[in-house]
Amino acid sequence: MNKREKSVENVILALKERSKELNCLYQVEELCSKPGITLEEIYIGIIRAIPPGWQFPDVCQAIIKIGDHKFKLNEFEETDWIQVANIQASDEIIGTINVYYTEERPATDEGPFSKEERKLINTIAERLGRRIFHERLKLVFEEREYQKKPESDWWIIIDLLRRTDPKLMARISRKMLNNLCWNGIEEAEKLLENLSPNYKAEEGELLKDANRPFQKKAVEDILTINKKIFKIAEDHLSENEILANIQKWIQEDRTGFLVNILENPASSLESIAGAIERFHHLSPQGVKLTTPREKGFRISLIRRLLSDQPQFINIAKHYIEVDNFFDLLNRIIYPAGSHGKLGGKSSGLILATQILKKSAEKNEVLSKIKVPKTWYLTSDGVLNFMQYNNLEEVVEQKYKEIGRVRQEYPYVIHVFKNSQFPPEIIQGLSLALDDFSDVPLIVRSSSLLEDRMGTAFAGKYKSLFIANQGSKKERLIALMDAIAEVYASTFGPDPIEYRMERGLIDFHEEMGILIQEVVGTKVGHYYLPAFAGVAFSKNDFRWSPRIKRDDGLVRIVPGLGTRAVDRLSDDYPILVAPGQPGLNINVTLDEKVRYSPKKIDVIDLKTQTFETIEIQDLLKEYGYEYPKINQLISVLHEDHMQQPIGIGVDFKKDYVAMTFEGLFTNSQFLKQMHSILKELHGKMENPVDIEFAYDGKDFYLLQCRYQSYGKDSAPAKIPRDIPKERILFSANRYISNGTVPEITHIVYVDPQKYSELSNRNDILAVGRTVGKLNQILPKHQFILMGPGRWGSRGDIKLGVSVTYSDINNTSMLIEIARKQKNYVPDLSFGTHFFQDLVEASIRYLPLYPDDRNIIFNEDFFQTSQNTLSDLLPDFTYLSDTIHVIDVRNTTEGCILKVLMNAEEETAIGFLTEPTMQFELGEKTLSSNINQKTSNVHWRWRLRNIERLAEQIDPDRFGVKACYLFGSTKNATAGIESDIDVLVHFQGSKNQKKELLTWFEGWSLCLSQINFLRTGFKTDGLIDVHIVTDEDIKNRTSYAVKIGAITDAARSLPIGKTRSKKG
Amino acid sequence: MNDKAYNPFEAAQTQCDEIAEVLGLETATRDFLREPMREYQFSIPVHMDDGKMKIFRGFRVQHNLARGPGKGGIRFHPQETIDTIRALSMWMTWKCAVVDIPLGGSKGGVICDPHNLSAREQEQICRGWVRQIARDVGPYLDVPAPDVMTNAQMMLWMLDEFEAIHGGKYPGFITGKPISVGGSQGRKEATGYGVIFTVREALKELNLKPENTSTSVQGFGNVAQFAIQLYNQMGGKVVCVSCWDQKENQANSFYKKDGIDLDELLKITDPFGGIEKDKARDLGYEILSGDAWIEQDVDILIPAALENQITTDTVDKISKSVKLIAEGANGPTTPKADKILKEKGIFVIPDFLANAGGVTCSYFEQVQSNMNYYWSKDEVFGKLDEKMTSAFISVSEFAQKRKLHMRDAAYTIAISRVAQACRDRGWV
Repeated sequence: MNKREKSVENVILALKERSKELNCLYQVEELCSKPGITLEEIYIGIIRAIPPGWQFPDVCQAIIKIGDHKFKLNEFEETDWIQVANIQASDEIIGTINVYYTEERPATDEGPFSKEERKLINTIAERLGRRIFHERLKLVFEEREYQKKPESDWWIIIDLLRRTDPKLMARISRKMLNNLCWNGIEEAEKLLENLSPNYKAEEGELLKDANRPFQKKAVEDILTINKKIFKIAEDHLSENEILANIQKWIQEDRTGFLVNILENPASSLESIAGAIERFHHLSPQGVKLTTPREKGFRISLIRRLLSDQPQFINIAKHYIEVDNFFDLLNRIIYPAGSHGKLGGKSSGLILATQILKKSAEKNEVLSKIKVPKTWYLTSDGVLNFMQYNNLEEVVEQKYKEIGRVRQEYPYVIHVFKNSQFPPEIIQGLSLALDDFSDVPLIVRSSSLLEDRMGTAFAGKYKSLFIANQGSKKERLIALMDAIAEVYASTFGPDPIEYRMERGLIDFHEEMGILIQEVVGTKVGHYYLPAFAGVAFSKNDFRWSPRIKRDDGLVRIVPGLGTRAVDRLSDDYPILVAPGQPGLNINVTLDEKVRYSPKKIDVIDLKTQTFETIEIQDLLKEYGYEYPKINQLISVLHEDHMQQPIGIGVDFKKDYVAMTFEGLFTNSQFLKQMHSILKELHGKMENPVDIEFAYDGKDFYLLQCRYQSYGKDSAPAKIPRDIPKERILFSANRYISNGTVPEITHIVYVDPQKYSELSNRNDILAVGRTVGKLNQILPKHQFILMGPGRWGSRGDIKLGVSVTYSDINNTSMLIEIARKQKNYVPDLSFGTHFFQDLVEASIRYLPLYPDDRNIIFNEDFFQTSQNTLSDLLPDFTYLSDTIHVIDVRNTTEGCILKVLMNAEEETAIGFLTEPTMQFELGEKTLSSNINQKTSNVHWRWRLRNIERLAEQIDPDRFGVKACYLFGSTKNATAGIESDIDVLVHFQGSKNQKKELLTWFEGWSLCLSQINFLRTGFKTDGLIDVHIVTDEDIKNRTSYAVKIGAITDAARSLPIGKTRSKKG
Repeated sequence: MNDKAYNPFEAAQTQCDEIAEVLGLETATRDFLREPMREYQFSIPVHMDDGKMKIFRGFRVQHNLARGPGKGGIRFHPQETIDTIRALSMWMTWKCAVVDIPLGGSKGGVICDPHNLSAREQEQICRGWVRQIARDVGPYLDVPAPDVMTNAQMMLWMLDEFEAIHGGKYPGFITGKPISVGGSQGRKEATGYGVIFTVREALKELNLKPENTSTSVQGFGNVAQFAIQLYNQMGGKVVCVSCWDQKENQANSFYKKDGIDLDELLKITDPFGGIEKDKARDLGYEILSGDAWIEQDVDILIPAALENQITTDTVDKISKSVKLIAEGANGPTTPKADKILKEKGIFVIPDFLANAGGVTCSYFEQVQSNMNYYWSKDEVFGKLDEKMTSAFISVSEFAQKRKLHMRDAAYTIAISRVAQACRDRGWV
């Protein structure tokens, strides 16, 4: 063959090849554009069409791979003579077309394949890719057609997730599936069954086959079916719902770490703080959480940091937000690895603040309430402090005898004050001081037990003011000193005794600390708030029948609130009922001035001490600097009281009284106070009391806790089963709270007989008689009952004419309103000495004997033996009017007990055995452990005085006989009670002197014992009364007690021991 | 109530009858004097703070206006009765007559308890009271004043309402106003000074010089403080004062042999006349029991605190050196003790003469208000001295003439003056 022939042949061959290729292309094109044909058919068609288009069709085979699927015509062995082209749909390689020669052929451009064949296979692959893409698009369009709505955002999110974070996508799919199942969607349930077949189908087998772990499918499985899940979701949920859920879950997924930390009881405060901070910074606006998760956080945080009391959590969870803790944690000082809490006082305050903040949205007067800047030291700080100083043994104090606790307490204080704080605490305190700068501070106790529902611990632990002046080092030392002292008070005898009484001694008590800025301003060299006080949501001291319990009560004083918190013996706070601001206790000028505060508590910045000074002195010097003074004072111009306006007052000359008149009448204060009390009472579901202060600009809330009750003013539980014949009286109107446990004498002024007195002097004599009885009857063991308005100045017919000093020893004042014709007179509610009654804890009760459904045993009062003529022979002529009843004598040893419960509006006075114990209502917060509840006080007094009497040598001291009377004899002695001893003396002057010296020694000795037992200091415990033969003959002085009709003195055997020895 | 009960009006009538008997007045005059001339009883509707209406009962009793416009306080009291007001209005007639000021006797009141009323409600009651009685009271007819549980503020509300109704300014309608709104200077001092004006005149009669006398005072309130001040100025020496101690709930007496120093004691005294015991002891005062004031060997006793202080129990403790008792308080002596004082021959200046300085100053306020021209303090005291002195002299002269004790003489002269005025007007 020649060259030319050869080249012609080559050209023909080449043309043949091109024609084969074209044929192949046409076939592919035809396949791909054929309507109604499936992709599989196209693949098969292409595989058929390819070999004839290649150079050596008899050894040529083609395969199309799409994903994991292979399409081929015959089985053959894949060889190395292969030509491959990728199939791309859109930008994605979804598969390949592979062409093989099964036998070797001569090599050309690409192994045995030509470059034309390369072009051909690429073109086919491209065409096929387009076709596949088209097919997919068609599918999507068909789906859309089917949905008839545009593709929503969430699909995009899902798609994005599927590509970027398959694990998160898996979790979210799972959540969606769960969510669908919880919504009771059947398809979802089926899907879940497929996913984890043990879920439902095998429920029955669960028990049978408990040892075999349930089979689970891999996470990847759910990925493959997530499309289905979301398809179901799309069918059943609204678009917004799906979107909201997806967003929520994505965010939630990011806060999982917080759950782990909070739910783990071993996490320390440090890690919690760290987690909270991380959480806070997750998003500048805070992270939005699902309600249950957010709630979970809140509750976990409340439980870890505030209180684990269910009642507290139950309320707090509605008001305290997770973000509140972020702010809070920045101001908490805690030891390393701390598991402490903030304690009762802090928790109460934090809760109240949040409640008021929420309420302020609806009630504008609540919007401007502030809380002073506060730092917290966690409750386990005290343990850490003790460990650091090796003081562990102090923990055992609480199990020692109370006398020893008292004895050792000063030592505990001393040791604590001389101990070191751990460095991390010092660092924290230093930070706090930088934050506070040099404003005065109050260091308050906030123990775990304190201020919990049911245990107020009012005033049991210490709160200390510090002036916080001087260099940083000085201030830090003073602060640590105060904290150490508060720490020491955990081991003081008072709280330990209180805990013993309440059965709380074994409770793990820890002491948190609140370091709070003292609200106030500088006035001269003093620092003080304009005013401060306490307020109660329930008013238990109503001075007018128009005041309801819900009207609340505010005790307010100028300066620091300490004088409002405590009952005062020498001064008065201003009392006002915010629900009835117009009804003043004090109406006349005299009352207004007399019952206005005269003293003020301040911090002296010069001497750096807490001081009580005279208001007049302060105002004379600095009156013009005092914030808002015109609202607080009234100026006394002769007999006119003016509210100053403009330059209305000259502090150097004018007499000003602190009446708060301007504040009450011309400001929002009472309205605001009433709202605060109502809100807190309502939201905390119990009566509350708060402490507050006002610095001249802002109103501050300082404390909030469940309403506490002092001494005998807790609501009494009233038994229903008292036999009617034992009840002397009952009442159901204007009742306050309280218990008067041991009444041995009743002074009853008969209302009828009193109104019949026709002689003015006789009427006045009734008052005088009461005054005398007040001196001779056993103190705080008798009650006064009588008509109308006691102590009315003016018309003496209206009620028994007495002053406060005539009744100050009574335990209770009962005013009786008898119906006269068709009219029941008003009672005074004790207004004439109301504030004296309040400060002295004398209970008041109005009786309306003519009311229905009450009991008034008039017969008892009128017919019981009247001992007036024996006690006060001069006043025998008043025996018809005044009945003095010795309850024990007339009832064979019973005493009268009065129980009052304001909540139930019920009071009852009944005869009972002298048990010396009384039950308290459930919500009792009484702190009165030392008073009348305990019968230990008289027992040891009696034991000791009996022994002492035995020691008396009758000859040496000239003693004829010895008697005991008063509270020790009557078994009613309290902590402060004297031992009243009556000595029948017949000796010389020297003997008397010697005797008294002898008694004095023992008196001091017993006083010391009493102090160790109770913490109450007296100058001596034995009160010796000497009577002579002459006294006994004339029945003068205390001699009347010997063989007396009522409350007679009891003989004490003397000189026994001595005579035995001799 | 019931028939047997003590009735203040009946007691007052009995006293009036007794004096009328002494004076030998005929029946018509007696009947006229023993009953009020006019009585008003009315209802005062008030919108209470809770939105409800409440009706209060108001009174004004004009016992006798023969000698001039009525004068007497308004009481707010929860158990006010018309009989109490009647008795008190009669007492006002005699009181004005004995100091010979040209006023009659009235009294008024409202049954209410200010302790149960807000300030707004109290204002409504005050204004309501005036609305009901506005035509029957006035600066030239009947002039109210503060009394039990009413005060200067309430007087201003009442004045304001009265002026609104009558369309003018009538500051003389009411007394007891603050000085800044038409009150009189010297009211604070008036009663205490008045006591000493009468003491001064009594000493003249007893031929004693004030500078040679010593006094013991019960009480250290307004009356006692200014009485002591003026008495000291006259050269007298107060050796003992007693006063109430709020803290101890008992009275204490403060004794200094060489005489107490008023200014130094005032520095340690609270607004209610309570002296601080410890500080007084530091100043060299001897602290005695509360009733020790009555036992002192002095020339003069001034009970200026409470009623019923000189009783059958205490009257015997009075020292033989005591020659004069001036009753600064209301009713300090019981009738039985009064008899014993008579027997002892102690000169007694009865309460409603001795402490009439208060009502006299109230009269001065009315006069000044009507003129709308106000006197200086000294001018007030000068006129007060003149009034009290002449009142004392006429009672004292009458007592000497008729051989009566001062108390009886004072009553007699008062009732006689009123009876005379009624006769002159042709009423009886």
